[in-house]
Amino acid sequence: MPPFEKILLKNMETPGYTGSLADYEHAGGYQAWRKVLGKVSPAEITETVKKSGLRGRGGAGFPTGVKWGFLPKDYQGSKYLCCNADESEPGTFKDRQLIERDPHQMIEGILIACYAIGVETAYIYIRGEFVLGAQILERALAEARTAGYVGQNILGAGTSINIWVHRGAGAYICGEETALLESLEGKRGLPRVKPPFPATHGLYNKPTVVNNVETLANLPHIMNRGAEWFAAIGSPPKSSGTRIFCVSGHVKRPGNFEVPMGTTLRELIFEHAGGMRSDKPLKAIIPGGASAPFFTPEHLDVKLDFESVAQAGSMLGSGGVTVMEEGTSMVWAALRLMEFFYHESCGKCTPCREGSSWLVQTMRRIVDGRGRKSDLETLVELCQNIAGRTVCAFGDAEVAPIMSTLKYWRHEYEELIQQAAATAPVELMMPAMGKH
Amino acid sequence: MSVETVEVTIDGQKLMVPKGTLVIEAARQAGVMIPHFCYHPKLKPDANCRMCLVEIEKVPKLQTSCSTPVSNGMVVRTATTVVNDAHKSVLEFILANHPLDCPVCDQGGRCDLQDFSHQYTPTTSRFIEIKRIFQKEYFSPLIEKEMNRCVQCLRCVRYCDEVMDVKALAPVGRGTMTEIKHFGTHELDCEFCGGCVQICPVGAITSRLSMYEFRPWMLKRADTICTYCGDGCRITVQAKNNQLIEVNSAHGVGRNNGDLCPRGFFGYHVSTHPDRITQPMIRRNGQLMTATWEEALEYVAETCIALKLKHGPQAFAGLITSRCTNEDLYVFQKFMRLVIGTNNIDSSARYGQITGVRALRRVQGTPRWTVTFEDLVAANALLLVGTNVTETNPITGLKIKEAVKKHGASLVTIEPLVPAVGKISNIANLSTHDFPGRPDRFGAMVLALIKAVMDERLVDAELAQRAPAYVKAIGDALHAISWEVLEAETDRASAAWRDAARVFAAAKRAVIVVGQGVLRHPGGLDITTNLLDLLLLTGHHGRPGCGLATLAEENNDQGAVEMGAVAEFLPGPSDVTDRHARERLAGLWKEELPQGTGRTLTGILEEAKKGAVKAVYIVGENPVGSLPPSSGAKEALQQCEFVICQELFMTETAALAHVVFPASSYAEKEGTFTNTEGLVQPVRQAIDTVGESRPDWEILSALSVLMGYPIEYGDAKEIFKEIRSVIPGYALLGPVPTPPRPDVAVITQYVQSGYAEDVTNRYRLPGEGRGAKGERNEQSFTLVLSQSLFHSGKFSTRAKGLLDVEADGRLALNGTDASKLNITEGDRVRLFNDRGEMTTTVTLRDRLPDGLVTFPEHFDEQALALMPLTVDDRTGVPYYRAARVRIEKARGNGQKVTTYSAASSPSPLASGLESPEETR
Amino acid sequence: MLKEKYKAEIEHILSRYPVRRSAVLPLLYLAQKEEGYVSETAMKEIAGILRLTPPQVYEVVTFYTMFQLKPVGTFHIQVCKSLMCALVGSDTLLRWLKTRLGIGPGETTIDKLFTISTVECLASCGTGPMMQINDDYYEGVTESKVDRILADLKRDGTSSLKSGPFMLPEPMKS
Repeated sequence: MPPFEKILLKNMETPGYTGSLADYEHAGGYQAWRKVLGKVSPAEITETVKKSGLRGRGGAGFPTGVKWGFLPKDYQGSKYLCCNADESEPGTFKDRQLIERDPHQMIEGILIACYAIGVETAYIYIRGEFVLGAQILERALAEARTAGYVGQNILGAGTSINIWVHRGAGAYICGEETALLESLEGKRGLPRVKPPFPATHGLYNKPTVVNNVETLANLPHIMNRGAEWFAAIGSPPKSSGTRIFCVSGHVKRPGNFEVPMGTTLRELIFEHAGGMRSDKPLKAIIPGGASAPFFTPEHLDVKLDFESVAQAGSMLGSGGVTVMEEGTSMVWAALRLMEFFYHESCGKCTPCREGSSWLVQTMRRIVDGRGRKSDLETLVELCQNIAGRTVCAFGDAEVAPIMSTLKYWRHEYEELIQQAAATAPVELMMPAMGKH
Repeated sequence: MSVETVEVTIDGQKLMVPKGTLVIEAARQAGVMIPHFCYHPKLKPDANCRMCLVEIEKVPKLQTSCSTPVSNGMVVRTATTVVNDAHKSVLEFILANHPLDCPVCDQGGRCDLQDFSHQYTPTTSRFIEIKRIFQKEYFSPLIEKEMNRCVQCLRCVRYCDEVMDVKALAPVGRGTMTEIKHFGTHELDCEFCGGCVQICPVGAITSRLSMYEFRPWMLKRADTICTYCGDGCRITVQAKNNQLIEVNSAHGVGRNNGDLCPRGFFGYHVSTHPDRITQPMIRRNGQLMTATWEEALEYVAETCIALKLKHGPQAFAGLITSRCTNEDLYVFQKFMRLVIGTNNIDSSARYGQITGVRALRRVQGTPRWTVTFEDLVAANALLLVGTNVTETNPITGLKIKEAVKKHGASLVTIEPLVPAVGKISNIANLSTHDFPGRPDRFGAMVLALIKAVMDERLVDAELAQRAPAYVKAIGDALHAISWEVLEAETDRASAAWRDAARVFAAAKRAVIVVGQGVLRHPGGLDITTNLLDLLLLTGHHGRPGCGLATLAEENNDQGAVEMGAVAEFLPGPSDVTDRHARERLAGLWKEELPQGTGRTLTGILEEAKKGAVKAVYIVGENPVGSLPPSSGAKEALQQCEFVICQELFMTETAALAHVVFPASSYAEKEGTFTNTEGLVQPVRQAIDTVGESRPDWEILSALSVLMGYPIEYGDAKEIFKEIRSVIPGYALLGPVPTPPRPDVAVITQYVQSGYAEDVTNRYRLPGEGRGAKGERNEQSFTLVLSQSLFHSGKFSTRAKGLLDVEADGRLALNGTDASKLNITEGDRVRLFNDRGEMTTTVTLRDRLPDGLVTFPEHFDEQALALMPLTVDDRTGVPYYRAARVRIEKARGNGQKVTTYSAASSPSPLASGLESPEETR
Repeated sequence: MLKEKYKAEIEHILSRYPVRRSAVLPLLYLAQKEEGYVSETAMKEIAGILRLTPPQVYEVVTFYTMFQLKPVGTFHIQVCKSLMCALVGSDTLLRWLKTRLGIGPGETTIDKLFTISTVECLASCGTGPMMQINDDYYEGVTESKVDRILADLKRDGTSSLKSGPFMLPEPMKS
């Protein structure tokens, strides 16, 4: 087996690489676009993407080519592509780097996707806080327009594709694809009832594909080097390619690490991220962003691919790996995440809306030393009454922290409840700044 | 067209339902009520409350039955333990933050949350956290908001948007703190249709008009019909101790399907207004003094007999309002024709309804719509001409909104409206082809549309073959009018007219709706006839779902014509000169009918002025208050020897009467109304008669006995029976009208030769009057008396709920015109022309086209003085609703407030001594 | 009025979308840039431009956390309080800010220079604790960095300590 070669981070990790159009082209950028535009049929591109085994990098891991295939055939009206750059899952910060450091890579990916599915207008829905990212994208798009890669009659091939940057304005839920579409339509970002799916009734009720930044960024490479090449990377057949894992928390060297799928958590944390930041041993891992159930040190050898992580009881999700050291209160950690979900619940569905407020209050009470014995049973039942009962997956996500910490660290809850008068753990838990 | 059906099993019960039916609706059909909050059949499924979860075989997760359409072979279970637990848990979540203030909640006793809680939840709650509390916010004088009770189903917000197209409510914030709010620091400003109050499943939004005054089970209910426009909405009037407490309308019933407008929902306080006349009155020494019924009836009977002997029956005339029931109208015309012996009868249908009836009868035989509201909803293309539908016929407006918003119909509007978002909905915003203009341009605009049909060769081939001369005559006449001229007249390029013509002609189902802007303005008869030509030319006329609908302004305008309460028609309506009809009626009545055509409204007034008419019997009509002073209505009536009024209130006309009888309002009597579609619907008594008032027909019946020509009935039903014998098949009382088919013989006659008598006149650009031309210059505006959404005639200006929204008249104009005049919202302005002047306050309304200013007719005492009066010599319709005026900013402060505000002062008319002009 | 001042920009924004309503967020950003918050007048004007009713704009404004309905300080410090930042000291950061500025979350200094808010995850989890001040990210902050940033802002209106294009681990110097 040849040594592993990074795909998405390769350019930007080259010393001196600025992400400008010149740098990108110098590194072979837009070759894929030139190669396919007008020369390879859209159907062939879709077929290649299907064969490559590329799956969505946003969280749900749906096969990208299959998703494209759901668009109605021979549809005459407008169709849309939305690039989901609303990176908001706590623990995840890879798209930000892909956008700010190598914007043309994702733009080329967007172009290829648009061409493959016959779209003339694409929107990059970028989270509002990424002001710098939006500026960088605008600049890159201007370069790409001037170079003739984007716009009318691209490279004289008769194809026209416009790409616009659309900034969100602070709402985690807009990362959910139908909420993103609502938001892009100028409404409150509430998820839509599915079916109908965006593939048939998406933006402005037109056929629409929503793909994540990282997903799209892979496309130029797949077009350049072929489906077989990509399919062989990682843990084929179901988890091909690389993933950028965002390691945060109590590690020495937090950051984005692109590794083949199937790399173990142990390798990621202890080799790539430099291991634990202090002598305190590892206590807990969130393997796939805030929505993913917690893992314990026993899960260190779980392979980071879609199936293995799911089999172990969590999910690969968005690739956000958060590491917590011994001494971290798991009840407090779950509360912090619950506060996030409470803040971000859009309020559409009763169980999520009312449940998140109920859960956060109960969790606060427990952490503040006012817990009751009956609370744990109530927590579990509330979580069960939320999961699977809502329009979108947010309901499942918000109960993951509580359910998984209760599963592995129930005693911490019980201790807090028993020592009802104990010092408020938030005080105990306040870590110092600047330790990395 | 057959609908595909699928088989579905619900709780073991198999049934066939149309494909696409939602599981929740299929279950309802199977008799299974799935609990829900956010679902409502009128609204798009939102599936937010998660209450209606059910188990569907082969689907792993529970599904919301409100958003899942059935598929063939689907097996649904609604009563398993899993489903039951899910329902319980959703209720637990909702109740967690609910204040449980049921004892002081007006929804208590009819609350979905109460009912479902009763059904599911244990009596204790596990919720021991702090309940969410929203800051109390004053919402509006009419609507109360208690957000702590809100279950965030957003039915109110969705209704306001999807059904009403008003979008006045906003879900503000996020998550559990989401709160329903309106915009701005002022109180709620919307259509006040009451829809949010009605659709709220809990007590979060309730009516303030009756706040804390009742528990639902204390109310006595009567299902009846609203009197505030011709739409004929079913309302449920609810009363406690003979006081009106509230009006609502159940979903799924009535022509309105439960939807109402502000007049219907909040305007019910008129019947029990303290100003009601409660006793008969006789003028003694120049003053109206109370009298007993015996005195008053005997006095009227004796005087009438004496006058009839002295001057003959043609010295009598009668006027009746079309707010009356069919029974009142029928007895009135019978009384006038038999007991008095004259055809000098007219009703408020004369103001415009008659225009439509005349055109329809001429072209298609039947005087009624050949379509129904359902056809409006199902239309592929709708053409509105001068309807101002939201304000005039709000529920017809909803049907049009539904056609466009839900079914994607094309909408062509020739309206005094430009697209602009405002506080109340604007039908032009939904328009696919909008042609804004002033009423005096509608004629030219219709010609442009028909010319476009000709130019685009959209004439029905079959018609062209059957009636080539008819098509050619219209074509030739239009050929003589150049596009250049038409484009200038209509302010739109011919391409726009061609687009609209193509869309209209291509539609499978096309309906034309004609409103007051046509029917009550000069040229109305010709425009309506031309629009019927348009239907014929495009081949739509006579096709299912196609037709021309004229909008009735008053609740029983159509009934008034059909009951024969107009000069030219006997009940039927049959021409008063139709020998056959006369003989038949004489046979039924066992009495000879008076000869000759009677005088219409303005004719009667003219004759009275001349001294030929000496006695006028007036039922609920108010010519003195309605017509401009130049009509001389007041002088005419003052000159009469005897004026009798049956009235609810002391109107300008009643104040001149010699005898006033207290009449009962619609809420106090039984009978029927015929709505704008021609559906006859039952009116039911909701409260006991106020004071000594009696239904109009009863008063007439009592007089007839005293006058020796008894026309007696035990009750309204008996009159209705007689109506049905006079008009066979009248009133197939049912939930949906069966529209008549056009009379083929009449159409044939029309397209073969009937059209010819006036085709060249009708297809000519209406010339401007010499007077009008002289007045046209930069500073002059067209002032139109308009219908407000919040009032109906002058009747509703006593409804306290409506006065809370609109208490006085304001001059409306658009921002461009306002800045030209250097005026803004709230400024005082003076309007004047050579007829008179008025001073009023300005309000800006961007929906008005340039050069058009409007003033609500409900407060038009002053404005009428500016209005020229012309009478259509063919229809007798008095036109007085538009005038050229000049406007200037009123100088200085301390201007005397000249607009009569019904809200701020007790009616100056209550004393019965003075007319309003004299008080100022 | 936005319409006069940003005529070309508004037209450019509108040209990107086939449906006007989509322009609501970009126009709200313009309004906020203009006044520092989204005023009632601005919402009305935006509603007018987009042919919406004001409530339709209002409901959107309140859904997204980045829009302010009331004026905030010249520098709006938004501290991420989500778990990943909390693990590495965001509570200490907040406490330090309070020591330095005398205000807590939701408060504004008397001189109207600084407002502090706590926010949820800003996708900077590897570089916590972090804060966003107006448009800029400040990452991996320490007590001394906070002091420098505050001083820079007061003096220059900006600070060189703000993040540039993101990369973690830091790229090797070329």
